Amino acid sequence: MSSVTDQIEKSTGAAEIAAVVAASAPRRKSALRMLLSDAGACIALALVVLAILGAVFAPWLAPTDPYGNDLANTLKPPGDGAFLGTDGQGRDMITRLLFGLRTTLMMGFASVSFGCLIGGVIGFAAAYYPSISGILMRLMDVLLSFPAILFGLAIAAIFGPGLTAVIIALSIATVPLMARVVRGSALVVLQQGYIEAARSLGLSDLRIILRYVLPNCLSAMFVFVTLRFGQVILLGAALSFLGLGAQPPTAELGAMAADGRNFLFFAPHVSVLPSLVIFAVVLAFNVLGDALRDALDPKLRK
Amino acid sequence: MTKLSALLLAGAAAATLSAAPAMAQQKAPLQILRVIDADRYDPIRSTATAAAEVLYMLADTLVTVDFDMKTIKPGLAESWTISPDGKTYSFKIRKDVKFCDGRPMTIDDVVYSLKRWVDPANKSPVSFRGGQVQDIRADGDSTLIYELKEPYSDLIFQMALSFASIVDKNAVESLGANFGVQGFNGTGPYCWVKWTPRQELVLKKNPHYTWGPPIYKDPKPQVDDIVWKIIPEPNTLMAAIQAKQADVTYYTPYIALDTMQKIPGFTVQRQENYIYDVFMGFRVDKPVASDKAIRQAANMATNKEAISKAIFFGKGQTLPSLLNPSVLDYDKSSADKMPKYDPAGAAKLLDEAGWKPGADGIREKDGQKATFTVYGIRNADNPRISEAMQADLRKVGIDMKIQLWDATVAWGKLATQEFDAFLMSYPYVTATEALGLYFPSRQIPTPNRMNWKDPKTDDLIRQAATATDDATRKQAIGAVQNQLTEANVWVPLVTQPLWVVATDRVEGARAHGLYGAGLYKGLDIKLKR
Repeated sequence: MSSVTDQIEKSTGAAEIAAVVAASAPRRKSALRMLLSDAGACIALALVVLAILGAVFAPWLAPTDPYGNDLANTLKPPGDGAFLGTDGQGRDMITRLLFGLRTTLMMGFASVSFGCLIGGVIGFAAAYYPSISGILMRLMDVLLSFPAILFGLAIAAIFGPGLTAVIIALSIATVPLMARVVRGSALVVLQQGYIEAARSLGLSDLRIILRYVLPNCLSAMFVFVTLRFGQVILLGAALSFLGLGAQPPTAELGAMAADGRNFLFFAPHVSVLPSLVIFAVVLAFNVLGDALRDALDPKLRK
Repeated sequence: MTKLSALLLAGAAAATLSAAPAMAQQKAPLQILRVIDADRYDPIRSTATAAAEVLYMLADTLVTVDFDMKTIKPGLAESWTISPDGKTYSFKIRKDVKFCDGRPMTIDDVVYSLKRWVDPANKSPVSFRGGQVQDIRADGDSTLIYELKEPYSDLIFQMALSFASIVDKNAVESLGANFGVQGFNGTGPYCWVKWTPRQELVLKKNPHYTWGPPIYKDPKPQVDDIVWKIIPEPNTLMAAIQAKQADVTYYTPYIALDTMQKIPGFTVQRQENYIYDVFMGFRVDKPVASDKAIRQAANMATNKEAISKAIFFGKGQTLPSLLNPSVLDYDKSSADKMPKYDPAGAAKLLDEAGWKPGADGIREKDGQKATFTVYGIRNADNPRISEAMQADLRKVGIDMKIQLWDATVAWGKLATQEFDAFLMSYPYVTATEALGLYFPSRQIPTPNRMNWKDPKTDDLIRQAATATDDATRKQAIGAVQNQLTEANVWVPLVTQPLWVVATDRVEGARAHGLYGAGLYKGLDIKLKR
C-alpha cells in the first residue's frame, strides 16, 4: 500500500491525495446521516437545491420577459416599481437573476460534465494501462499549466465569444484535474484483492473498470465534481465578465455584473445583485463539497 | 437612492483624495484625463481619436476649424486661394513660426510634411484624405502650391485634420519608426516631453508660440505643463475628477453628468456642434439584410429617441437622418424620407413583404428566418445600444444577433464578410467626407462594409468631391443622402455628445471636438492656482 501511495504522490498534489485516499474507501450508510447532521452542509444543500429549482423553473417563476426592454424605466432602484429594481435596459432584476442563474448553472453543468467525462476516461486509462500512463499524465500536466482564462481567450478568438467558447474552455480546464483525481483513486482500488480475482477470472478490462474500479472511485469523483462546480461557475462568470461568455440578450450572472459596472456609483444593484448570487452559489457548492468529503472520509467518521 | 449614490461618490472621492498628495500648493500641470491611449503619435500613421486629441496640441495644420465645425479659419496658412478649375490651391504660409526646438519653420517643412502624408510609399491609412495629388511644391519661400489631378472639394477641411500636421523633417528622419513614439517636434502650442504608453503623455509650453488660430482669444498658450493621463475605467476616472486629482476631462460617463453639474467647483459644458455619430449599417448583399423591407422595418422599429435618452442618459441626440444636422452640406430634405418610429407600421410592412411570424415569434419568408448578425466593437456604449435595438427588433419579429469584439480583434473582424450588419461610431467634418468614405464601390470591403455598389452613388459622390462650387457640391451630396436614406442602408442612431468637465482651477476651457479632440489646441486655458 505504501508503494502505491508513493507512486500516487509523485503525480498528484498532497491535498488531492488526502481527499482521494480518504474518499476512496467504500461509502457507508452513515455518510448521508453525517452530512445531514452538519448544519452548514444542510444550509448549503438547501441553497444548492433552491438555486437549481430557481434555474429550472425560471421561465415560470420570472415575472417579466427577460429579453424585452423598457427604456423609460432603466436603472430603477430596488423597490421602485420592481422589487429588486431594473437594469440598464429597464428589465426586471428578479427575472434577469433567475435567467442568469439558469445560464450560469447550465454552463457549469455542461463544463463539469464534459470535463469530468473526458478526464475520467483518461484517468482510468492512465491507471489501468501503466504503459500509457506517463504520456497521458504529462499531457495533463501541460494542460494544467494553462490558466482557464487563457483557454477562454484563445477559444473565443477562434470561434468567437459565446457560451460554447466558455464551456469548451472550462471543460478543457477540468479534464486534467479530473484525470489526476481518478487516476490516483483508481490506482488504490487496482491494488485490492478483488481486482486480482476479477483478472484471474478472465474478465475484460472494460468490465473490470466499469464493474469494480469505477464504483469504488465514485465517492472521490463525487466530491471533486461538487467542489469543481463552484470553481467552474466562478471561472465562467469571470470569462463572461470579460465579454467572452454569454452574448446579449442572454442573461448570465458574470455578464450581468459586468453590465452594471458602468453604473456602479449610481445604480449599484445592477452589479451587486448578480455578484451576490454568484457568491452564494459558489459558497454553497464549496461548503457542500467540503462536507461531502468529510462525510465520505472513514477516518473522520470514526 | 440619490443619497446612496451621493454617499458612494463621496466615498470614492475621499478614497482617491487621500491617495493624492496636496497638489494645489504650486501651479501643478494641467491634468487631462482620458480613457484610452493611442498606439503612436505620428500624424500620418494613426487614425485614432486618442492620437488626434494630442496631435492638435503638438502640431499645427495649414487651416483650422471654428467651434461651429463649419467655418475654416487660418492656421499656419495666413490665406489661400483656389484656382477656378479647383485643382490648384495656393497657401500663403506664415513666416514667424518656429518648431519646439527653436528652429524656424520653412516652406520646405510644409512641403515635406504634406508630401509625406499623401505619398503612397508611406502607406498611410489616411493618405486618401489628401486627394489625387499631382504635385506639392513651394513657390518662393512662403507660398505652398498644392496641385490636384482633379478637383477635390473636401481638401480644405481635410487640411484641418491632424493627419495634415506640419512636422519637422529632421525629427522624422532621425527618429524613423519611432517618430511620435520616442519624440516629436512640431510647431504646436505644446511640446513633447515624455510618453509612458497607456499611462501618461507629458507636454510643455512651446515658448515661441504666438501664432494660435483666430478662433481663440489669445494666440499664446497659457499653461506651462500639460499631462494627458489615462484612466481606462470610466468610474475611476469620474472619481478622480471628482477628487480634483485632475483638472479636465471629456470622458466623464454620461450617467454622471447631471451629478457633476450639481457639484460646486465644476463647470460642465457641451459642444453643440460635435460630430461623432453612431449608426448601424446593413450589408446589402446578405440574404436577410438585402431585403429593403427588413432594413426599413429596422429603422421603424428602433426607438432611437429612447435609446438616446436611456443609453446616453438624456445627453444624446437622435440623428434625424443619415448624417449629423451640424455637418457641412447636411440635407434637410433627407430627414423627411427617414422612416419615423412606428413598430406597428414596421410589422405591417414586414407582413406585406411576405415575412410572416414563425412559431417562435421570429418572422420567416421562403424558409428563411428574419435573422441577422451584427458585429461591433465592445466599447462602453455598443453593448447597451445593440441590446436595446435587439429588444426593439424582436418586438416586430426580427432576430438580431449581437457579436461584439474586443478592440484588438474588432477591426480585423469588421473587415471580413462574416456579418450582416455592423455598429460603428465615427467623427467627420463634411457630408462629402462621411459618404465619400463609406459608400463608393471602390471602398468595398472596408470602409464600405455595406458592400453598397451603385453607379449612381459613385457618380454623385464623385460629382460632390470634384465640385468646384459650393452649390454643385451641396446638391450632389444632398442627392446621395436622399438616395441612401430611401434605401435604408443605415439605421442612423445617435450623435454622441461631447461634454467637457473642468474643475474650478481651470479657466477658459472650451469644448471643440474636431475629430473627437475635445480641447483642440488647448489655447485660452488658464490655471487659477
